[in-house]
Amino acid sequence: MGDDYPTLFRSEQMSLMQFLIPTEVAHDTVAELGELGNVQFKDLNPAVNPFQRSFVGEIRRTEEMTRRVRFFESQIQKEKDVVPIRPLYDSAPLLTVGPSAAHNIDELDVTLAEHEKRLVQMNDSYKTLSERTRELVEARHVLRETAVFFEKAETQHTDIRTSFDDSSAPLLQHDDREQQYSSTVQFDLEFIAGTIDRTRISTFERVLWRVLRGNLYMNHTDITEPFVDPATGTETRKNVFIIFAHGDALLAKIRKVAESMGATLYPIDANADKRSDSLREVTARLEDLETVLYNTGLNRRSKLLKIGENLARWQDVVRKEKAIYETMNLFNFDVRRKTLVAEGWVPTRDLTMIQLALRHATEASGTSVVPILHELRTSKTPPTFTRTNKFTEGFQTIMDAYGIATYQEVNPGLFAIVTFPFLFAVMFGDIGHGLIIFFAALYMIYQEKKWARQELDEILGQFFYGRYIILLMGTFSVYTGLMYNDIFSKSLHIWHSGWDFLEPGSNGVSYAVSNGHMYPFGVDPAWHGADNGLVFTNSYKMKMSIVLGVIHMTFALCLQLPNHIKFKRPLDIYANFIPQMIFLQSIFGYLVVCILYKWSIDWSTRDTEPPSLLNMLIAMLLSPGKVDANAQLYPGQSFIQVVLLLLAMVCVPWMLCMKPYFQWKEIQMIQGQGYVGLSHHNGGHRESTDEVLESEEEGNGRVIVEEMEEEHEQHDFSEVVIHQIIHTIEFCLGCISHTASYLRLWALSLAHAQLSEVLWSMTIEKFLGMSGIFGTITLAIVVVFWFSATVFILCIMEGLSAFLHALRLHWVEANSKHYQGEGYLFTPLSFAKLDEKE
Amino acid sequence: MEGLFFNVNNGFLEGIVRGYKSGILTQSHYASLTQCETLEDFKTQLSATDYGNFLANEPSPLSTSTIADKATQTLVDHFNFLRSNSVEPLSKFLDYITYGYMIDNVVLLITGTLHERDTHELLERCHPLGIFDTMPALCVATNVEELYQSVLVETPLAPYFRDCLSAADLDDMNIEIIRNTVYKAYLEDFYNYVSTIGSTTVDVMHNILAFEADRRTINITINSFDTELTKEQRAKLFPAIGRLFPAGNNALAKADDIDQVRQVCDNVGEYRSFFDNSASGQSNGDLGDFGVAAQLEDRFFRMEVHLNKLAFLQQFQYGVFYSYVKLKEQEIRNITWIAECIAQDARDRMHDFIPIF
Repeated sequence: MGDDYPTLFRSEQMSLMQFLIPTEVAHDTVAELGELGNVQFKDLNPAVNPFQRSFVGEIRRTEEMTRRVRFFESQIQKEKDVVPIRPLYDSAPLLTVGPSAAHNIDELDVTLAEHEKRLVQMNDSYKTLSERTRELVEARHVLRETAVFFEKAETQHTDIRTSFDDSSAPLLQHDDREQQYSSTVQFDLEFIAGTIDRTRISTFERVLWRVLRGNLYMNHTDITEPFVDPATGTETRKNVFIIFAHGDALLAKIRKVAESMGATLYPIDANADKRSDSLREVTARLEDLETVLYNTGLNRRSKLLKIGENLARWQDVVRKEKAIYETMNLFNFDVRRKTLVAEGWVPTRDLTMIQLALRHATEASGTSVVPILHELRTSKTPPTFTRTNKFTEGFQTIMDAYGIATYQEVNPGLFAIVTFPFLFAVMFGDIGHGLIIFFAALYMIYQEKKWARQELDEILGQFFYGRYIILLMGTFSVYTGLMYNDIFSKSLHIWHSGWDFLEPGSNGVSYAVSNGHMYPFGVDPAWHGADNGLVFTNSYKMKMSIVLGVIHMTFALCLQLPNHIKFKRPLDIYANFIPQMIFLQSIFGYLVVCILYKWSIDWSTRDTEPPSLLNMLIAMLLSPGKVDANAQLYPGQSFIQVVLLLLAMVCVPWMLCMKPYFQWKEIQMIQGQGYVGLSHHNGGHRESTDEVLESEEEGNGRVIVEEMEEEHEQHDFSEVVIHQIIHTIEFCLGCISHTASYLRLWALSLAHAQLSEVLWSMTIEKFLGMSGIFGTITLAIVVVFWFSATVFILCIMEGLSAFLHALRLHWVEANSKHYQGEGYLFTPLSFAKLDEKE
Repeated sequence: MEGLFFNVNNGFLEGIVRGYKSGILTQSHYASLTQCETLEDFKTQLSATDYGNFLANEPSPLSTSTIADKATQTLVDHFNFLRSNSVEPLSKFLDYITYGYMIDNVVLLITGTLHERDTHELLERCHPLGIFDTMPALCVATNVEELYQSVLVETPLAPYFRDCLSAADLDDMNIEIIRNTVYKAYLEDFYNYVSTIGSTTVDVMHNILAFEADRRTINITINSFDTELTKEQRAKLFPAIGRLFPAGNNALAKADDIDQVRQVCDNVGEYRSFFDNSASGQSNGDLGDFGVAAQLEDRFFRMEVHLNKLAFLQQFQYGVFYSYVKLKEQEIRNITWIAECIAQDARDRMHDFIPIF
């Protein structure tokens, strides 16, 4: 099937390849293959612990390097002025392959370590310096605040005294002592001053009060500016406090409490002159320190700038190195430990590219030993790999979300490109709404290059990912909108209508008469606004959705055929596909034919009433052979219906029995020839060890690790029977329920049309008649409201709901007819994907 | 009826805690952890578990204490998340869990101050779950009275300390007595509190707390042999709850050697096993009382783990929160133990940890 050009119809053909890579080129080879992104390596030592593998040392080293790079990154991010990080595409690539690779990596390791050491050193010195600055700043604050306090106390001495007296009012019995006390105050009362975290001040106060039994006077003020920790960048706010107390024991206690609560104490002299002296001194020292600090900060910043230039490059290299060694851990050493043995799935089409890459890697590394590549034969199922581009990716994802296609199975993602937007559009049919989402998608595609590079938030990112789906959905909606003749719930009047309305009769009702024209495309606009318009569109859309549904299911059923032919299962064609097809067509295919036939007849010229097709179908199943003369669609109807019903009836046992019977015969035949299942006698273990031994002896040509769980499926006969019974019942019931399920096309499209009509008539229509400036303004406001409601409710909300229903129709109604979806995804080692994951 | 409305306030947190619980290391994790050669391996191995890369940003020569600290930090983070999202009465219940750690911290600080250790060093060694605002001020106090008046009076521990104000001055013996008195009061209070918050919780928590009380009773008895502690004093330290209470407690108060303790424990089915093999152990080598005590401690931990695991079998109750904290604590002990064994190259003792799941 089209081996020359990649196709979406089936997943890529894969080969299990064995690579024999000489140890010295292993790294470069893996690097080259990682750039190519085409090989999915298999883990050849699944039993080995992650830390017992061969390249743990290297991984650990790269992890250490990653840690350092992360450290730089966090340092740069914490910097308040933005440090530019040179983007990757601007930086010169660091050579990590070739003969100098090891050297380069070593060098990088050393450089990183050096940078880290320097940076840590600088941080430390910066921190100590700023710590000291902070202390000095605090000291200055303490000095200033206490000075203010003392000055105030100086001037208002008497006030303080009275206030002291007041506060001790309840202790009046000690009046004399108190008197004495306050008179001796005169500021030779000992005090302690310092700073403390603002959050702790209340606790501090309480504890002190209790420890000293209230024998203290405490004052505190806020320091307005916060202190910033240079290492973490967190802000702390502090308070200056001053505590007066009497007696050495008490002071010692205060000191101890203060220290344990994390306060910093500063020696303050009671003498005002000395205080101003020390303030001057502190200020001078602070100035010195600040210059030093500024220089250190400048140094640090220039260092960070230098790091920022290289950071992206380092990140890239380190990430790739880690991926390379992690991949190499999956490999196996051969007996002499000179070469690495790797196994991996490769798209057969890309073999030449891989060979080229291998040769290139050898050339780059400067050795003459070429890695050997040869194909292994295996009974294992290869991974499913569907090549997509930015257009098909979205559609393929829709199908992959249901289940990854079995290897080489017909891929429904290909057909979803057309059917998905079409079924969506059937529900969403409106020219206006279709155009809105079409242009939205067009805008996203126009911005594609820009948006693809930047991080989008989750919701927008999802829409962006599906931009091509949305584009097609919009286009198809315009088409179905034309069919329904709906634009924002109004109708287009392009050609001559087929109907003329007569003058209204006495009851105010005007009837339309045919004027011989035939509206060439879509629904005649005359139906719009007609009293029986809804009845007409309902009947039309309902029948149309059944027709579309049966066509869609038949198509999905037909997709079985290429699968059966490809995998050489003729039995499945005879035992499954043909009876299923007959069953579906004889009941629902017949219904579709009847719908089309009924549409094609001008019932106004017939003498019978048009029969109800629903009743016809029910009668066909419940009372076969009898057709009411009034409800007859065509002559000979009863006979044909009986035949069709019998055909469908025959199909059920056909599906039920044929496949199990032939399988049973096959088993009988095999056993008749004297073959017996191996695993009944031999333990599975023995087999696998034999295999491993053998492969070790031969060294190549065999798969080294063959997991034994697979391919040992017992073809138990009872299992086949049960499976077939379930399958049959599921199909027969499914046909009925799935056909009914397609009626959602009608329901959703009806709801959409009605909703947009309601929105129109509730808003704009009421204000259209208004005139004058006021009317214009109101109209403008209403139009804005109407438009935003159209976008949010009708396009986004309704669109999402139609999307979901289209999704369901594909996943459940169509996929259940043919899709196995038991594959697993091809996940190659790819550096490009590594970036995406980050 | 409780089940009907339980999830209104606590469903989210119960879900969270059960999720946390399923992240507790299993037997197979331990199996691969014990195969590690170096602490670097250990780190790699742990990063494959729910701990994730909690050590990723630690510079290379790892120490056991860093691992323990970081692991405790994860527990504390989890607990704080639960605590800050909880409402009454669960929040109160979670507070009760922290009281135990607070008592330990208080005693640690008092002992440290008594031996004149550096305050900041002591503060660093405190369990982060039991830290409270005024804790640092504890190191000022020199006797119990002062301790109570200056610091503890405003903490939730105040009622527990009220009973031991008589103990005059602080020495090692008295501190130990204080610790046990306070813990007894705490356990009894917790036990009573649990009784008020719904029958399922009662079922689960009473079992665990009763065992906790019995464990303390037995430990106190064994540790008080050959000390100055009189038998009356000893009796006062026993919590008045648990399965040994009251008859067992009375007997234990009078016990003189370990055999009498064994006899008392034989009366309770589950406790019988505690001393089962110790006889054979004694005959094996001359382990003496110390050996028995060490083995006993191990069995106590096993029993605790077992009871806490049972808590997860019941729905609509608070016991899971308590049990999670306790199990996680045990897990941290295990990790630290294994890490320590790796660091000191004592591979033969590595398997002495207590597996949880």
